[in-house]
Parts: sequence; C-alpha cells; structure tokens
Amino acid sequence: MTLADRIASYRAILEEWLRGLYHGMIAHPAYEKIEAEAEDLEDAFMLACFPDAFGIPSPVSYYTAELLPYLEDEYEAWERRLWDRQSVIERKGHQYHF
Amino acid sequence: MARFVFFGGKGGVGKTTVSSAYALECVDAGLETLVVSTDPAHSTADVFDQEFGDEPRPVEGYEGLSALEIDPEREVQNHLLDLRKQLTSQLSAAMVNEVDIQLEMAHQTPGAYEAALFDRFIEVMDSADPYDRVVFDTSPTGSTLRLLALPELLERWIDRLIHKRERSIDLFEKAAIGNQEPRRVMDGDPILARLRERKERFEFAGEVLREDAAFYLVLNPDELSIRETSRSLETLSEAELPVRGLVVNRLTPAPDPHEEGRGARYLRERVATERERLEYIEREFDVPVAATIETRVEEVKGGVLEEVAAALDISAVDGRPRTE
Repeated sequence: MTLADRIASYRAILEEWLRGLYHGMIAHPAYEKIEAEAEDLEDAFMLACFPDAFGIPSPVSYYTAELLPYLEDEYEAWERRLWDRQSVIERKGHQYHF
Repeated sequence: MARFVFFGGKGGVGKTTVSSAYALECVDAGLETLVVSTDPAHSTADVFDQEFGDEPRPVEGYEGLSALEIDPEREVQNHLLDLRKQLTSQLSAAMVNEVDIQLEMAHQTPGAYEAALFDRFIEVMDSADPYDRVVFDTSPTGSTLRLLALPELLERWIDRLIHKRERSIDLFEKAAIGNQEPRRVMDGDPILARLRERKERFEFAGEVLREDAAFYLVLNPDELSIRETSRSLETLSEAELPVRGLVVNRLTPAPDPHEEGRGARYLRERVATERERLEYIEREFDVPVAATIETRVEEVKGGVLEEVAAALDISAVDGRPRTE
C-alpha cells in the first residue's frame, strides 16, 4: 500500500465520519423538528375535524366524518401522540437532544 | 324573480298552508313548481291528501306541481350507512371499530340533522333544472332558517381545515430528504380532495341563496310569533339574506255590524287587538306585510287551498305584493 493510498483511505473514513457527524448533529434533528412540527399541525387538523372526540360539539363533525375512511394512519398516530403527550413541554422537549 | 322561495316561521303558524298556496299560485302563473317539505311531521301530504316521498313526485289533480318530502332522520342514517360501507372497504379491520365509534358520535351531534338537511337542500337546488320555481316549506325548528346563514361559516371552517392540511403535508414533504419517501404527498391527497369538494358545495349554496332565493316569514297575530319573527329577521339580515315579506296568517274574521251577542263581541275585541298587532308589525318591521290571511274553519285542503292562494298577495311572477 502506497502512501497515497493510505492518505486516500484515511480521508475517505474522515469524510464519512464528518458527514455522519453533520447528519447526526445538524441535519437529522432539523428534519426531525420539521416532522414534529408537521405532526403538531396534523394534530391541530385532527382536533379541528373531530372535537366531539373530546365532547366538544362541532357543526362540521357531520361533514368531517366523511374524511374518516381516509384518515386511518393519521387517526392511529394521532391517538398515539395524544397518549404520549403529557404536556406541551414534554412534546416540545423532544427537539433537544440532551 | 328568485327561483327558490323559502317560507319560515314558528311552529304551527301555517307555513305549510301558505307555501302550498303559494306553490299553487306559481302553477297558475304557468310555472313548473316543486314544493319541498322538511317537516318530519309532513303536513304537505295532509294538505294535498296524497303521500309523497324522498323523490319529487307529481301532485295528482294539479298540473305542473310536484312535491318532495325530506326526512332528516333518514338522511342522517343514509349518510352513516354510506360512510360505514366506505369504511370497511378502506380501513384495516383493527381500525374499523375505533373509527366506527367516532362515526356514530358524529351522527349523534346536535347539528347532524341540520347538516343532513342542508346537504339535501343543496342537492335539491343543484338538481332543480326541470322546475321554474322551488318552494321550500321549512321545518319549524328555528335552526332551519339559521342553517341557511351557515354556508359562509362552513366555507371559512373548511378553508381553515384545508390550510392546516396543506401546511402539514408541505412540512412532511420538506422533511423527506434524499431518497426518503415523504409520509404524505400533496398530489392526490384524498382528504384535500374531499374538503375542496365540500367547499365548492358550500360556495354554490351561498351563491344560490344570496342571488336566487327569496325568503318569507309566516306569523300569526300573537306576541310569541311576533317575537320569534323579529329574531328570525335579525339572523337572516345578519346573514345578508333579506326577507322579502311577511305573511300574517290566522287573522280573525270580523262579524257583520248588525250582529250582537257574546260571540260577536268576542270576535270584535279580538279583531281590535289583532289590528293593533298588525299595525305594530307594519310599523316596527322594515319588511312589508305581503299578505294577510283570515283563519278558516275547516282544515286547509283542496278547494280551500285555492281560496287561500287567492288571498295570498305575493305575485308569483315578480314576488312582490300585488297591491302595490
């Protein structure tokens, strides 16, 4: 193995590490945050659609019921997140990787 | 002149009589007319002595007149059944139960009747092509007229839902990097499609109600009915659906001047109070009194209906009081 090869392989490893580090520290948490935000919005959407699930009568729940057949994934995820979510802080706290 | 004419008012003031009579007048004016009743008690059937159903059916004995009775309860049930059918074809077995409870609940909310009724109204208005005039005999629940003020509110609500959905999908799309598949995609999202379809329906309803509909309120010369009318006038004008006229029904006929005795005295007194109330109505409300109808001894049916129609001072052609 020549010196040039060893330098090249060393640089390849370093590059991979750096990319991983960047992805883990910057990119991934950012996307996670975006996704969490999207989930929050979706929760708000679900709540606006089905407030009667919490005993709040809504004039539109009759119409939004039409959406239910298409909301399988959302509905399940919504319920799961509602159980998870003890408080706003708890949910928002996820974004910080301590 | 407006194609869709709504008659509203408190329960028992004679909306069915007035709207049927008005429909007859439209028929006489050579208009193909449809009477739509939303009263679950269905008095149209009694007025014409015939059974009507969920689909428009020609009224026997009257050329050019059809009738249709909407049963909100059945509409709600149909809606529920339809959704259930979709549910079982779309969802996994595990979710069906969960969602079914939600579905059941949505159809038990206080607004479900009104929503179903409103849906059907829109349908009738949408498929009113064969008729020159559609007369709605609304059910006495105060909410039926309020319901007509709803499209704008519902439109805004649906708008907000669409907006929320769009933003969350947008974020999901952004969160998907590289070769990752986004969790939801904007194109062909069934939820958005559904919501937009709804929005179009509401827009259609709002447009038709604002531009091609006329509202009349039926009342009796008594305190309760006058108060209810003033409330309805307020809600309707708030919704920018102006009322064209009031129909005062069940006025007491005055006895002949030579008549004496207890009955005649009673009638005279009644007539006097009613005149006062009528004056009050004419003075206090901005809406003209389009017709006054005297009370009848018999049930209003067949021949009597034509008499009432003659007393009704709303011209079938331009919708304005004839005497002006």
